[in-house]
Amino acid sequence: MFVRIFLYKIKELTRMRSIVGWNFLFPLVLATAFYVGFGNLIKEDPDTFKTIDVGYVNTNSQDSPFSELLEELSKETDEHIQVLNVQSFKDEKSASKAMDDKKISGFYLENGDKINTVIKENGLASTTLNQIVRAYENAKFQLEEITTNHPEKIEQAIKLQSKDLNLMKEHNFGNNTSRYLQYFFALIAMSSLFSSWISTSMLNGICANISEGGKRFECAPANKLVAVAAGTLAGMLIQSVSNAIVVIYIQYVLNINIGIPLGETILITTIGSGIGIAAGTLIGSLLPNPKYHVVVPLLFSMTCSFFSGLMWDQIKQLIQYKCPIINKINPAALITDSLFIRATYGRTDTYIQNIIIMLSMIVGCLFISSICLRRRKYVSL
Amino acid sequence: MSDNIISISNLVKRYGDNVAVDHFNLEVKNGEILGLLGPNGSGKTTTINCLLSLLKYDRGDIQIFGKPMAPDAYDIKSQIGVVMQNVAVIDTLNVYENVDFFCGLYIKDKNLRKKYVEEALEFTGLTDYKKYKPKKLSGGLLRRLNIACGIAHKPKLILFDEPTVAVDPQSRNAILEGIKKMNRDGATIVYTSHYMEEVEELCTRVVIMDHGKNVASGTSSELKSSLINRETIRIGLPNKSPEIIADLKEINHVYKVLEDGNDVVIKCDGGEHNLVHVLSYLSDKNIPFGHVTTELPTLNDVFLEITGKELRD
Repeated sequence: MFVRIFLYKIKELTRMRSIVGWNFLFPLVLATAFYVGFGNLIKEDPDTFKTIDVGYVNTNSQDSPFSELLEELSKETDEHIQVLNVQSFKDEKSASKAMDDKKISGFYLENGDKINTVIKENGLASTTLNQIVRAYENAKFQLEEITTNHPEKIEQAIKLQSKDLNLMKEHNFGNNTSRYLQYFFALIAMSSLFSSWISTSMLNGICANISEGGKRFECAPANKLVAVAAGTLAGMLIQSVSNAIVVIYIQYVLNINIGIPLGETILITTIGSGIGIAAGTLIGSLLPNPKYHVVVPLLFSMTCSFFSGLMWDQIKQLIQYKCPIINKINPAALITDSLFIRATYGRTDTYIQNIIIMLSMIVGCLFISSICLRRRKYVSL
Repeated sequence: MSDNIISISNLVKRYGDNVAVDHFNLEVKNGEILGLLGPNGSGKTTTINCLLSLLKYDRGDIQIFGKPMAPDAYDIKSQIGVVMQNVAVIDTLNVYENVDFFCGLYIKDKNLRKKYVEEALEFTGLTDYKKYKPKKLSGGLLRRLNIACGIAHKPKLILFDEPTVAVDPQSRNAILEGIKKMNRDGATIVYTSHYMEEVEELCTRVVIMDHGKNVASGTSSELKSSLINRETIRIGLPNKSPEIIADLKEINHVYKVLEDGNDVVIKCDGGEHNLVHVLSYLSDKNIPFGHVTTELPTLNDVFLEITGKELRD
């Protein structure tokens, strides 16, 4: 019974033009509009990390560990971040020429044990290039010390150095902190909360007090809560797919780096979809009159999205300053905050806390809904 | 188990101060087609909703198949089919999917369900419209789909709540024939309507409701035989006079003569050959007359006599 209702609900909901329009197409249109509006601002934002084009000249006769480090930093991370784009030059002259022609920001000159960083202008790129050399020399010195004095700990030291390299990649260079990304995060949050009317549409066909179809359903020997559970899951799957499409569109079509691994972004947005679906189920179970089943979810999604920064990115900060509790109970703010924190700072305690609050909201809404629906064994017609 | 498929005793349902169903009693026997007749707002649909446990009622007892009916009485619900007053289908699913979805709530076996769905589509004449979405169907076909969704699982008891409202005569006849066939195949049927002609044609027994009460019950002929008026004769009499009216009243079994424009309406309380007696009088007196019609009493007359108002009021 559960599987049949689940499959039919997917069929039923995905054929609804309003859901295809508002839940699948509208977020893509809005994302495109945002991209047209300030896509370039994100790409040119000084806070946004950009791959550094750097030259490398090795005057030694053999490859050095430093060249291996450069090779490592030239690989794209899971967050689609490439720290360096290294070009090898046979001598200093040709590298200098490339730098003068602005083909590279600077170059490393390795001569014997010494590595020089040659740069033309000061800035984020030069700081980063210097930092890489400092980190390498520091690690090299430590390893040499350990090899001489504590050879038994060499394996442990190599592991630590490898961890340092990952930290360098992830935290020093791998973050995207452009404030304009907030708009895209708020868009993803809005898209998630749009699923609230998927739930009310789903309840439409199950509850006798809402529609004639629901009346027919309740005449059948089918458990209403099982049907609601199947419908909720179907709605959540539809919205999660919709969110995944939006995320992939932003990341790969608009080419805006969200700064979070795709899988984790989809996980966060799936939890967001869960909130939308659960909130919609609660709205539908509390308000049996179908004329409110689009208006109220729309009002709910847009209000929450507005206060999470969909139209003005500073509003969330303002609320955080004046009344921070609102940001902790506004599902859209929780979704945008989770995405922002993960993109900027990684998996911090606040990020974990937000995820827990969102999951609790889903459980809470579904629990209250189930009580409301169970209590209404006899409906009011 | 008794022969009763449905037993409703002393049912009361109030909406605030308004009593929608007032100490209503009903028994439906196995294999019969019971007509629940009454004007709009008489409590028919409310009674059906209480019967299906869709509505909580204030007082009374409802038993179906000898067991108390409740919202979670799935064993009872699995044997009931319901055809709603309003079309209750899913707009985004096509005809086949609609019937399959609702049938699937009753029948778990995939092959059996497929067979039942095909049979329901054939029965309602929708086989050629399998792939159509409900919005593409005409009003009559939509009603047939509504019926197919309600009966595909082959229930033992089928409740039809005004299934022919806003249906063209051709589709209405098809629906009524279908209901008769279902009854012949063994289903017990409860048919609510405010169309007395349908109820007279279809039902083996009739219960008349008004203001939530059971005001009369019996077979159609039993109800009509309880009337004073047995025959109504209408004659076009352009030259009528008070003397003629007085003479007509003197004819045996004529108990009332009414003037209606150029027509005279003569009501008879029984007897035989009333029309012959009236026409003989007119011929004997050389009184010219126009059209002549005679009407036997209808359930509307029964209702009129009991409540003082027309069924279609």
